[in-house]
Amino acid sequence: MSAASIRASCRTCVHFRNDPAYLEAVFAGLAGLGSAYGSVRDEDGLCLRHDIYLGARSLCADFTRRDASEPR
Amino acid sequence: MSDIEIGSQASLSGTGIKGRGELWRKEDWWAIWIGLGIVVLGCALFAEGASLKWIAVTPPKWSSWGQLWAHFADSYPRYVAQFAAWLAVFSLALGALGHKPRAFIPAFAFLYALSVIAISIGQWDQANRYNLEPPLLALVIGLALSNLIGLPRRLDAGFRVEFYVKTGIVLLGATLPFTLIVWAGPVAILQASVVSLVTFAAIYWASLRLGLDRRLAATLGAGGAVCGVSAAIAIAGAVGAKKEHAPIAIATVIVWAIVMVFVLPLVSRSLQLPAGVAGAWIGTSEFADAAGFAAAESYGSLAGHVAGIAGTGDQTVFAFTLMKVVGRDVWIGIWAFVLAVVATTRWERGELGRSANPAEIWRRFPKFIIGFLVASVIITAVSSGYTLAEYNKQVTPALVAPIKDLRSWAFLFCFFSIGLTTRFRELARAGGKPFLAFSGGVVVNVVLGFVLSAVVFASYWETLAR
Repeated sequence: MSAASIRASCRTCVHFRNDPAYLEAVFAGLAGLGSAYGSVRDEDGLCLRHDIYLGARSLCADFTRRDASEPR
Repeated sequence: MSDIEIGSQASLSGTGIKGRGELWRKEDWWAIWIGLGIVVLGCALFAEGASLKWIAVTPPKWSSWGQLWAHFADSYPRYVAQFAAWLAVFSLALGALGHKPRAFIPAFAFLYALSVIAISIGQWDQANRYNLEPPLLALVIGLALSNLIGLPRRLDAGFRVEFYVKTGIVLLGATLPFTLIVWAGPVAILQASVVSLVTFAAIYWASLRLGLDRRLAATLGAGGAVCGVSAAIAIAGAVGAKKEHAPIAIATVIVWAIVMVFVLPLVSRSLQLPAGVAGAWIGTSEFADAAGFAAAESYGSLAGHVAGIAGTGDQTVFAFTLMKVVGRDVWIGIWAFVLAVVATTRWERGELGRSANPAEIWRRFPKFIIGFLVASVIITAVSSGYTLAEYNKQVTPALVAPIKDLRSWAFLFCFFSIGLTTRFRELARAGGKPFLAFSGGVVVNVVLGFVLSAVVFASYWETLAR
């Protein structure tokens, strides 16, 4: 699937971070009695532009496609 | 912000996990592969007249250091083999999840050494007299090491609480007859549903009365009502919580979960609750699976050994599991979907243009529960041709008991990991209001849970699995 054919969503946005290791580092205690690697989290992550935690399938007007080399 | 859409295009992915990729990229599935792998291997060996018994070694009851030393001098190759087997499967799984095996190996070696010490102390014939149950011992030692001494952060790579508890739960399924799940499940679901709804309503109402944001109120409410930290993080995502909401809810849940690990068994013991009743109460009123298993296993180890506590350890663990896993955990996807609907249609009043999707129910379903049920079905099927006497004489010692011992190891890894990863000074400052709102829900939950477990359904839980 080419980058152009991938539908725009938070998952592919430069402002979105949903790497489990990143989330466990940001949310103190998450790795203690929880986990960012479990099914219940789905693919949720942090929008660094709006400071909200939301689903990876979301989309807003501030969407900016992320390059493959940029962190998720 | 404008024009946000939630819950569609599930199959379209940039860097996301899609389709069968989830089978290797989520720890729930790895817990299934490892747990069911052990169960299937155990069944295959049993069919050939062999057993997992050799590698599922645990120390026997002992009364002198000489006895314990003799056991280790004789059996150390078995411990080395068991350590190597756990290390291999966990390294494989965590490597697939993106962890570095190089960081995991020393951490797990440390964890295994601690576990050998704790399980040995628990087998001392005077352990109950001094309240040295391995689950609580592991928790206390872990908390002391992480909060008083401090361990290098890199060791956290081996302290995977949720992964170990999920693996243990899958193995637990192999020791729980499927017929018991079918028989007791509906009552567990009924009791858990009543308590969950009331607890959520209490926390949510108190939060709003204290002026908290509705998304934080929902995140706190789910943390108290469903499955602790896991529920908090799931609901935070479903309702689009602010960045600071999830850590606040996580910190609040952890503090109360740690308190309840000690309080619930202590109060149960002082009231001399029957094993099954205490298990149901702990399952209703503890906020996290891992912490709840620590409390349930701790109380279960007293049954039959401490005067006045009727029943068996299995009853405590089975009742807890039915209440917590079957009664509460399975509904997290539905909670998330319903709250996503409320958030997108009521709280945001359409200005953000989001919509919820029922597919969220499956995506957030705690998949390890599938492994738990399948393990139960497998063992029930394998043992179906045996009479009770044959089952006790052949199936239990050669098949079920070794799996149960391996389960005990997995849970012990989990209990130590809880303590070793809980650093109170690093938890987010929850603030007075969220803590107060959640605490109100705790009071409601504990009282209602006790009434339902020890009064309304007491005879039911007391006779569970007899």
